[in-house]
Formats: sequence, C-alpha cells, structure tokens
Amino acid sequence: MSQSLKLYVRTADQTRRAEIDLDAGSTGADIIQAAVDNWALPADTDYTLVNTTTGRALAPGEDLGKGVRPGDTLEVQPVLVAG
Amino acid sequence: MLDPRRAQRYRRHDLIDWFSQDQVAGARVAVIGAGAVGNEVVKNLALLGCGAVDVFDFDTVELHNLTRSVLLRESDAGRNKAEAVAERARELDPHVTVRAVPGDFWDTLSLSRLQGYDCAVAAVDNFEARLRLNQLCLIARVNLVNAGLDSRWAVVESFPYASSDDAACYECTLPESAYGRIAERYSCGGLRRRARIERRIPTTAITASVAGALAASAALRLGGDPSPHARRRLIDTLGGAGSTSDLERRAGCPGCGRYGRPPQLVHIRNRWATLGEGPGLGLEAVTTQPLQLSDALVTGYECAACGPLEEAARYVGRRAAEFDDGIATCSRCAEASVRVEIRDAFTVGELMERFGRGRVPAKFALAEIGGRAVCFDLEEN
Repeated sequence: MSQSLKLYVRTADQTRRAEIDLDAGSTGADIIQAAVDNWALPADTDYTLVNTTTGRALAPGEDLGKGVRPGDTLEVQPVLVAG
Repeated sequence: MLDPRRAQRYRRHDLIDWFSQDQVAGARVAVIGAGAVGNEVVKNLALLGCGAVDVFDFDTVELHNLTRSVLLRESDAGRNKAEAVAERARELDPHVTVRAVPGDFWDTLSLSRLQGYDCAVAAVDNFEARLRLNQLCLIARVNLVNAGLDSRWAVVESFPYASSDDAACYECTLPESAYGRIAERYSCGGLRRRARIERRIPTTAITASVAGALAASAALRLGGDPSPHARRRLIDTLGGAGSTSDLERRAGCPGCGRYGRPPQLVHIRNRWATLGEGPGLGLEAVTTQPLQLSDALVTGYECAACGPLEEAARYVGRRAAEFDDGIATCSRCAEASVRVEIRDAFTVGELMERFGRGRVPAKFALAEIGGRAVCFDLEEN
C-alpha cells in the first residue's frame, strides 16, 4: 500500500499555494505538471522544483518519497533560458 | 602588484575588507554570449578590474538589443556583438584586457583555450548552447556560471567544476521538457529544421542587470565562496525576493552521469598515430577502440529512388550541424527521399579509414578505457 505525503506546493512568486496529499511514488515532474494544469502557468516555460524547507533543488524524476518529508514546501521555479 | 595609476583607480575597492583587487586582477573569465546578460557581465568585470575577459558571440547587433545592452550604441547596429562589447569595455578600463572572439563558441573555444580561464559564464539564450558549454567546462574542469532571465526573474547558477569532482552539473536539475525544446529544432533524422519559428522571450534591462551583477560576482567568487556545492540563486526583480538552493548531482544525469569522475583530457589534436601511446591503450587495441564524437557526422547520402548522388561528396564527412533538413530533398527527383546517415559513434579504425591523417571535424572524442572516461581533444589550439 502506498504511503501518502502531505506537502505544500507554491509558485515562485508565492501567489499560488496549495496543500496536497501525494503518493510517495510521485515524482517532481508530476507535481510540476499538476501545477501547470491547475494554476494555468505558462505552458511554453520549463519548470524545476525546489524544496524550500531544505533548500535543495529536486532532480527531475526524483521519487519524492525519498527527498521530501511531510510538511515540506515545494516551490515551482521557472527555468530561465533567455540571456 | 598594480602600477600606481591602476592602484589609484581601485582605491575604493581597497577599503572593502572582503575584496582582493589582486585576486580580481588575476582572474581570467570567458563570457559566452554578448546579449543583455553578457553586456552586464562584461561591464561589471571591466569596472571591477578583472585581469582578462574574452567575449564570445557570433551574432550581430540589432536595434531591439539596445534597450537592455548597456555597452551597445545605435552606431553599433550591424556589427558583431562581441567586437562592439569588447571595444566599449576597454573604454571603461583600458588596463583590463578585453578581447572579442566573433563566431560560434563551439568553433572558437577549444578545450585547451578553455583551460586557460578561471571561469566561463553562460550568457547565451538557448538550452543547446548551455548544454554544450556545460560539457566543455565539465571536461576541462573549469568553473561554470550560468545566467538566465525573463521579463521578471533572474537566475544565476554556479558549478564549481575546478574544485569539486562531485558537484552537480547544469543538466542535473534540467527538466525533461527542456530536451523536448531542443529536439523541436531538429528533424527526426537529426538535421536542423529549416522552417521553424524560434520562441522569443521578452527581457528588460532590470532583469539583465540583476543577473549580470550576480553572475560577475559568482564568476570572480567575490566573498570567497568555499562551498563545494553547485548553487542556484533566483531573484524576483519586481519585489526583490530571492531564494538560494543547493543543486545535487543526479545519478544517470545526461550531462555528468556518463563519467564516474571527470574524464582524463588528452590533447591528441587529430594526430591519430599517437593514440596508441594514450592512457592504458595497447597499440593492438587502438583500431577497435570505440569513440563517441562531440559532433555527429554525415556518413551516408543516397536517394531512396535515384540511388547514389553526386552531391554526396559535399556532405559526407562533415558535421551534420552544418546542414538543415533541406538536404534531404533529392536534386534529381525533387522528393524528400534522400537517406542522410548521421553518426557520432565510431571506432578509431573507422575514423582513420574515413579521414586518414586529415582532421576529424569534431571538438573531442570520448572513450572508456580501463574503466575510466577519457576525452581526446581533437582541436589544434
């Protein structure tokens, strides 16, 4: 049986924030996709996920059950490509 | 020791207890990209008295660049960006050596040359260039600072490759979607798409100046950052809020995951005959040694309907990146029926057979020899 994880997710500008229950097998990519879909974030931008509780950026595809603890806050940050 | 005139210029810097003018004057920095961020980085490095700054860019100045390029003027329109930026930076401080390197950095920045810098700053405007510079810095073990921006946010990431074998690389946290954007630029055969509209990302002088300031500071390691970790600093230029995050190495990363530790760099400069003297290679093993080239090459060109084509000689043996998917249209039947074979994996024997003692048109070749990654630098300088 998969374990559920209660987390907070927010955008980098902190105008969007949600408390979520997450299956331990979920990945950062799942969170990002849900944020883009539910918050209508610009789809032509790429995003990365940072655990602001630990100050650590999460690797794409990382199993959140390993790098995240209940109550942590994950921030969806844009990947900036212009120079 | 600085001469008296230079010492006078920097006397205010001398009042800062954490700032070493001598250290800054000894720094050598490569700035890749002379756009909005590149302008700011070069301006800051020149004002700080950085010892040597080389500016790399292939592009020319357009009027729309002027709203966020501090070193450019209207009279520079049409000039190479690197040349215009270097010229203006020399005016800021004639004691700082600022050199322009026009052209694509992939062609002008060899691994040997890169090893002469303390840091390379990625001030480019696309993922592909960042991935390429990241590879070069990983192999050459030169610190990389990546800067990016949009109309609101500025980001600067530091990758201390010179001092840490375990530092995360630029690709360790790069999402899969970024690779999808790179793939959009190429046809399924691996040639550049001709008909493609590039995404334009609006930026301002504000985000450029914030990113440029942080990038120059990171490049010079001002404040003496002793951290062995790669770091990201993201700033919201509207409110000033920011965050710092540690970047950790990812197992299986497409960038650094192929090396257990940084590859051993061997400068063979296309002298294949010397390869048998390389690390752990017996002469008998040389010809069958598999290599992965830094650049995919066109190795075959034939129309499915018309058979072999005369113009194959124009394409075969050259870098695929030189061509777009227009070459897949047959000159005889005018159908998109040409099979263009593209490869980046060869054995040494295959390369010797194809190129003899001539130059293999690639920057470097990677091999695994005795369980260790080895990078053969193929360029002359």
